Amino acid sequence: MSGKAKILERKGKDFYERLYLVEIFKGMAVTFRHFITNFLDNSKLYVRHYPEIKPEITPRWRGRHRLTTHEDGTMKCVACFLCQTNCPANCIMIEAGERFDGRSEKMPVRFEIDLLECIYCGFCVEACPKDAIRMDTGIFSVTGQERESFVMRLDALLATPGAFTEEEYKKGGA
Amino acid sequence: MSQLDILLLVLRVAFGALVPLCFIAVLVWMERRGAGFIQDRSGPNRANIFGFRAAGLVQNLADAIKLITKEDIIPDHVRHRFYFVLAPVIVFFISLLSFAAIPFADILVINGKQYIMQAIPTDLGILWFLAIAGFAVYGIILAGWSSHNKYGMLGGLRAAAQVISYEIPLVLAVISALIVYGTVNLTEITQYQGQLLFGFIPMWGIVLQPLGAIIFIVAAFAESNRIPFDFAEGESELVAGFHVEYSSMKFGMFFMGEYVAMFTSSAIIVTLYFGGYQIPWFTTETLVNHAGIVSFLLMLIVPAFAFLFSLWMQKNNKRPYAMADDPNIRETAVYTKLLWIVVGGIEVLLLFFMVLSAGAAANILVALLQIATFLIKTTIMCFVYVWVRWTLPRFRYDQLQRLGWQTLLPLSLLNIFVTSAVVVALS
Repeated sequence: MSGKAKILERKGKDFYERLYLVEIFKGMAVTFRHFITNFLDNSKLYVRHYPEIKPEITPRWRGRHRLTTHEDGTMKCVACFLCQTNCPANCIMIEAGERFDGRSEKMPVRFEIDLLECIYCGFCVEACPKDAIRMDTGIFSVTGQERESFVMRLDALLATPGAFTEEEYKKGGA
Repeated sequence: MSQLDILLLVLRVAFGALVPLCFIAVLVWMERRGAGFIQDRSGPNRANIFGFRAAGLVQNLADAIKLITKEDIIPDHVRHRFYFVLAPVIVFFISLLSFAAIPFADILVINGKQYIMQAIPTDLGILWFLAIAGFAVYGIILAGWSSHNKYGMLGGLRAAAQVISYEIPLVLAVISALIVYGTVNLTEITQYQGQLLFGFIPMWGIVLQPLGAIIFIVAAFAESNRIPFDFAEGESELVAGFHVEYSSMKFGMFFMGEYVAMFTSSAIIVTLYFGGYQIPWFTTETLVNHAGIVSFLLMLIVPAFAFLFSLWMQKNNKRPYAMADDPNIRETAVYTKLLWIVVGGIEVLLLFFMVLSAGAAANILVALLQIATFLIKTTIMCFVYVWVRWTLPRFRYDQLQRLGWQTLLPLSLLNIFVTSAVVVALS
C-alpha cells in the first residue's frame, strides 16, 4: 500500500528571500506589532499571574490522592491491595487489619503513599473496585521541607476533601 | 591646567566609563522585558525592594547578588589558570575601552577654550574603535582555548572564523563612509552629518551610504556576537560555547561584556550613520544662538512628556486582577510624585539657562541636549539589537560564511567603487 506523497515546495530560493532583508523586515514588523501593543497596554498579556490567580483544574485532572468514605464516615477501602499491586512506581504501602464496623472483614491499618515516588498515573484509581481512592482533590503543588513530609498517611488521605461534586466527577469519566 | 580643565576631564572620562556600565542594567532590563512583550508575556516584574519594583529593574540587582555570591569554580583540568581568568577581563574591558573615542556632544566652548567631548580626545576616531573592538574576540578565543573543553574550543574557533569573515566587510563599509566624510575623526564625522542635503534632508550617513550602513550594521551584529550571529555561544549546539566552563562573576564579566559591546557598537552605528549627537535640522550654532527659545520650548515639552508618561504608568502599573488596596497603585503614586519632582528640577535648571541664555551657559545647555540626543539614539539602536534577537533564528554556519564572503564582501567592494566614483564626479 503506497501512500500519496505530497511534494512540498522548497522555500528560500526566491530572489526576495535570498535578499534576507525583505523577509527580515516583515518578521520584525510582526514582532514590533506585538511589542508596541503590549507596551502601550499590558492588560492583554497571555500570562497567568500565578500565585495570586490559580489555574483552573478540571475534574479529570489527576491531583494529590485521597481516600473516600461512606456517608456514615467509615472508609470505603477494604485493603484488597489492588492499587498497591497495580502501582508502576511502587509508591503505595498498605498494611491490612481486621475490621469491626460491619462493612467487611478487612481494612487498612496503614496506608501510605510516597509522593516523591508517585508518578500520578492514576492506575490506582482505575484499579480500585470500591471507588475508595481518588485523585480529585485538585491539589497540584505539594511542597515540603523534608522527605518525610511527602509520605501521605492514612489520616491525611482520609481528611482531604474532594474538590468537585459527585456529578462533576462522574461526568469526568470516572 | 585650570580647575575647569580638570573638572571637564574628570566628567568626560566618567561619562565614557560609567555610562556604558549603567547601560548594562538598562540593556539587560530592556532585553528581558522586550523579549517578554514581543512574546506576549510580561518579563521579570516581581523582584522588589519594599514593594518598589522600578518596572523590573530590581531584578538586575537580584541577579547581580546571585552572580556575586555563587561559587567561583576554576575546573581542575584547566592548565593555564592565568589565561582562564584573563579571558573575561579582556572581553569586558576591551568593550568598555572601545567606547572611549566616541563623541557624545559637539566641541564644547567655555571661555573661548575648546573641549572635545570624548572620553579620550583623540584624532584616531574610527581607527581606535576598529583597533580596540577587534581585540574583544581575543578574549573569546582565549576563553575557549583555556577552558580545555571541546565545546569551549569549538565556540572560540567559530568566533575567530566569524570575526575574520565579518571584520573585512565591516572595515570596507567604514572605508566607503570615510571617502564620503573625508576624515577619520569621529567628531568631524558627526559635524559633517549636521548639514542638510538639498536643504531639507539631514545629511546622515544612512542617507549618503544606505548600502554601507546595512553592511556595517550586519557586520556589527556579527562582531558583537549577537543573534543571528551568536555562533560562539550557540546554546543548542555547543551548550554555552566559549563560556561553558565559567561560573559566578567570571561568567558575569562575559555577560556584562556582551552588553557593553552591544552598547558600544550601537553608539558607533549611531555616530557613523545616524548623525551621532546631532539633533536633526538643528545645528550646534542654531541651538547656541537661540538658547533662550530652545530652553523655553524645552520647558513646555518636558512637562508634556512627563504628563503622558504618568498617564501611561497609571494605565499599565496595576494588578491585572481584582485586589483590595492594590500596592501597585501606591507604587505608581510615589513614582508620579518623584517624576514631578525631577521635572520641577529640570524646569528650574532650564529657567536658569533661559535667563543666562548667552556665553558658556548656552553652550552647556546645547552640550546637555546633544548628550541626551546621543543617548536616546543609542538606546533606540540597542532596542533594534534586542528586537532582532527576538525575531530572527540563528544562521547555519555555512550560511554565515556564505553571507560574509559571497554577499557582504562583493557588495562592500562595489559600494567603495560607486562611492568613490560619485565623490570624484561631484568634487
